[in-house]
Amino acid sequence: MGAPAAAATGSPRTAERRTWVLGLLTAILAVGVFLSPILGTVAIPAGTVLRILLHQLSGGALFVDPCTGASVPAGGCSGLVEIVWDARLSEIVLAVLVGAGLGISGGTLQGVFRNPLADPFLLGISSGGTLGAAVVVVFRIGVSEQNLVLPLFAFVGALATAGVILAAARSRFGSVETLLLTGVALSSFLSAVLSLLLLYSPSGSLQVDFWLLGNLGSLDWTQDGIAFGVVFVAAGLLATFGRELNLLQLGSEVAQSLGVDARRVRLRLLLLASLTTAAAVAFTGIIGFVGLVSPHVVRRVAGNDYRLVLPGAALVGAGFLLAARDLSLIAFPGTLLPIGIFTSFAGAPFFAYLLFRRPWASTMGGG
Amino acid sequence: MHLPDPSTDTERARRTVPLAMFAVVIIIVAGASIGGVAAYYSLRPGSPSGPVAVTDDLGRHVKVPYDPARVAVLGPSILDSMYRLGLRGHVVAVDCYASALGGLSSDYSSDQVALWNLSSSMCVEVGPTFDVEQLLAFSPQLVLAATIVSVAAVEQITQTYDIPVVMLQPATLGGIIVDEQILGEIFGVSSAASSLVTGLQSGLYQASSLTLNLTDNGTPFPTVLVTYSADANGYWTFGPGTFGESLIELASATSISANATLPYPELSGEQVLASNPEFIVFGTGFGLNESTYSGGPFWSQLGATQNGHALGLDSNYFTEPDPTMILVGLPELIAILHPGVSA
Repeated sequence: MGAPAAAATGSPRTAERRTWVLGLLTAILAVGVFLSPILGTVAIPAGTVLRILLHQLSGGALFVDPCTGASVPAGGCSGLVEIVWDARLSEIVLAVLVGAGLGISGGTLQGVFRNPLADPFLLGISSGGTLGAAVVVVFRIGVSEQNLVLPLFAFVGALATAGVILAAARSRFGSVETLLLTGVALSSFLSAVLSLLLLYSPSGSLQVDFWLLGNLGSLDWTQDGIAFGVVFVAAGLLATFGRELNLLQLGSEVAQSLGVDARRVRLRLLLLASLTTAAAVAFTGIIGFVGLVSPHVVRRVAGNDYRLVLPGAALVGAGFLLAARDLSLIAFPGTLLPIGIFTSFAGAPFFAYLLFRRPWASTMGGG
Repeated sequence: MHLPDPSTDTERARRTVPLAMFAVVIIIVAGASIGGVAAYYSLRPGSPSGPVAVTDDLGRHVKVPYDPARVAVLGPSILDSMYRLGLRGHVVAVDCYASALGGLSSDYSSDQVALWNLSSSMCVEVGPTFDVEQLLAFSPQLVLAATIVSVAAVEQITQTYDIPVVMLQPATLGGIIVDEQILGEIFGVSSAASSLVTGLQSGLYQASSLTLNLTDNGTPFPTVLVTYSADANGYWTFGPGTFGESLIELASATSISANATLPYPELSGEQVLASNPEFIVFGTGFGLNESTYSGGPFWSQLGATQNGHALGLDSNYFTEPDPTMILVGLPELIAILHPGVSA
């Protein structure tokens, strides 16, 4: 029995290690979430930011005047509260949700396809989402409610693309290779449709830019709430498939003999990963490398047990995206770079480092 | 029987007449006052303290505060209007495209920065990522935005932060006039807006008179290539439905890209050579000059360059739908294309 099979059965020591690793990652992430609002494009003293956070979290009981000593804008202290609480914190919460969603989807897809290069965008899901967003912008659909209509169309576009992939998976040609190639073909096709659409509407391309480059800003708590609902449920369900994914690494026949309906499990995992990715891209656009890198980081640190890889990839993904946001603000003070640019800048060399430190096969835990 | 006392009647009549006259005067004065006040408020969009309801260029119905003192202007074309209406003092923030990369200079020419007294401390980054935080720091009471700002971001500003946003992005030259009226309504400068509108209408009228004169005389319109960028493949130009194309038509000329299928097509070198336009107008400003275009295909072989009919004009005149486009850009284009003819 290989490592994944052994991991599938589990042991008290494995469970203890899993608890420690996940606990540590959660603690690091919690500290990051609390400190990240200090960084933003407008200079606000760290003490003021923390006072505002505690004031808001305590429902106004703590620090009655949280802006004491700070230089307040023309709008008064409420202006600073809006910046910290509504603009920064909603962005940070979204970074955590999207990072977690992309991380766990990446881990799932790498497991399903048994391919270290699989990530949520390989299947063309993001291209479908981008096309959905572009349709709203170019045809000016729902102008007065575009902050909700646009993510809705993006979500539908991403899910429709995922639907095609799932249909391919259900067909008799639904081998792993066919699915991957279907995704690549679909992605290229949708990109071509998008380019054509934007050629006829150049002003639309300005607005779709933010989608293509990934973007955490321009969001609010309503959108955070929607993202939370979808990502939490879908990612939570994904995290329960660790044992099945461990067995799938041994091949469909072995998994079948150990009581796992490989085809059905694969289909469910694809559906949940697609749903998670669609919810993530609907609000932020394309953010590369999070889904690709996060599972590899967990594997390097804690091994190949998917019961640890999946929740671990979610936590690492959340931390990665949050760190990318913070580092971009440190590297380019006062400037909000599209986050997708920065994750690719940071993710590509880091991924190369991981690959050259350890061969692909061993990072996947297979042979 | 009681008979009326004639002397008392006379006395009463003597008292009644002045009273009646006084009442009439009171009624006239009161009526005039009420009428005057009513007329005053009917001319104004709303009371100075009350909100003004406007419909913006995207058809959104927006309630905005009357004559707001702190306004964020996200679009150079809107700032041009604000400046011409004497409202520059209300502007506390302007748009910047990726402030780390180009800042003000990516949206505003150096002339505009100097004329409108802009500084990088007024920047709100609008693209590719919209920086809500920077906008909030200016505590604007109103945001005037062109579509360089994503509509989704606009809705967020309106709904989450309760800051009204008016989108001013005219689709046609006539839309520029409508926008001046909207601004006049919001800021209570209807008379300034009216005189600006009169100036704009006059500019458009003079241009159409030139067209009529040329048509009546049977004079053919000159052919022209208006280009804003060139590379080894060809020349980027304006197609149907764009402001650049509208301006060329108004200037009584025929664009060689009038039948293009795309709004901003690139004409290949051979297309330009085959059309051999009588004039080439190339965009300047933002670091562009003739050398930018002379690397394009067949540049030196084109009749216009050989005859000295390749001339530069500020790119903004073709792309920014604002009063300057009509008041300055149009006459300058006419002067290039019809030397010796005053519009």
